[in-house]
Amino acid sequence: MDKQPGLTIIVKTVTRLIIWMIFLYGAYIIFHGHLSPGGGFGGGVILALGLLSVLLAYGRDFTLRWLNLKFLKSLEASSITLFLAAGLMGMVLGEVFLSNFLAKGTLFSLWSSGFLPILNIFIGVKVGMSLFLVVLALAEFDVEKGAEE
Amino acid sequence: MILYALCFALFLVGLYGMITKRDLVKIILASGVMGYAVNLMFVLIGYRQQAAYPILEPGKPVPAMVDPLPQALVLTSIVIELGVTSLLVALAIRLFQKYKTFDITQIRRLRG
Repeated sequence: MDKQPGLTIIVKTVTRLIIWMIFLYGAYIIFHGHLSPGGGFGGGVILALGLLSVLLAYGRDFTLRWLNLKFLKSLEASSITLFLAAGLMGMVLGEVFLSNFLAKGTLFSLWSSGFLPILNIFIGVKVGMSLFLVVLALAEFDVEKGAEE
Repeated sequence: MILYALCFALFLVGLYGMITKRDLVKIILASGVMGYAVNLMFVLIGYRQQAAYPILEPGKPVPAMVDPLPQALVLTSIVIELGVTSLLVALAIRLFQKYKTFDITQIRRLRG
């Protein structure tokens, strides 16, 4: 048992059970950002904390095998690019940068307020991935050899 | 008014820690305390007695609301503070790699 990296089996089991609930809660916060407190930033932080709990419980080797680091990096970069593209589309179809060009829908329903939920999703993915990658980069840093990438 | 004075006292606690401590980690934590004091002051400026949070909900009458502008500013400020803290931590790791210590009195001259 001491040979395995990460924390004890209790922590690992609880993390395995609870991780998808954390992701679901983060997605809920992101999708309801235009209706209730929270939004892209808060939900993204929750997503990053879910990934961090895996990193803490299982150790970095397992986490790097479980997650595709290159995919996370491209997700982070593409979300902000899509945000920029959405803003430019508002410029083309509407009046100014980030102007709303979708139908506003009915008030207080889930798909209301134009493309604010879509922007919230982009922001949530961006914040979650960047926070996790910052902590992962700081944890990966080897004092003797320097950063690996 | 006394709440603003307490915010300023919290800010001074952070400043004291930043000036007098020798450990780099403690200095980073003190800078975080200073930032939290400023955020708290901003939110308190927008506060009103007996007011609700500034979000419309179905079926809820529109009451007096607190000022949402400082809250939005503080949200941005929190994000910037996070970036500054991670930059400071990265610099501290680099300094530790070079000097093998977090004590700033030991970090004196540039070494190869």
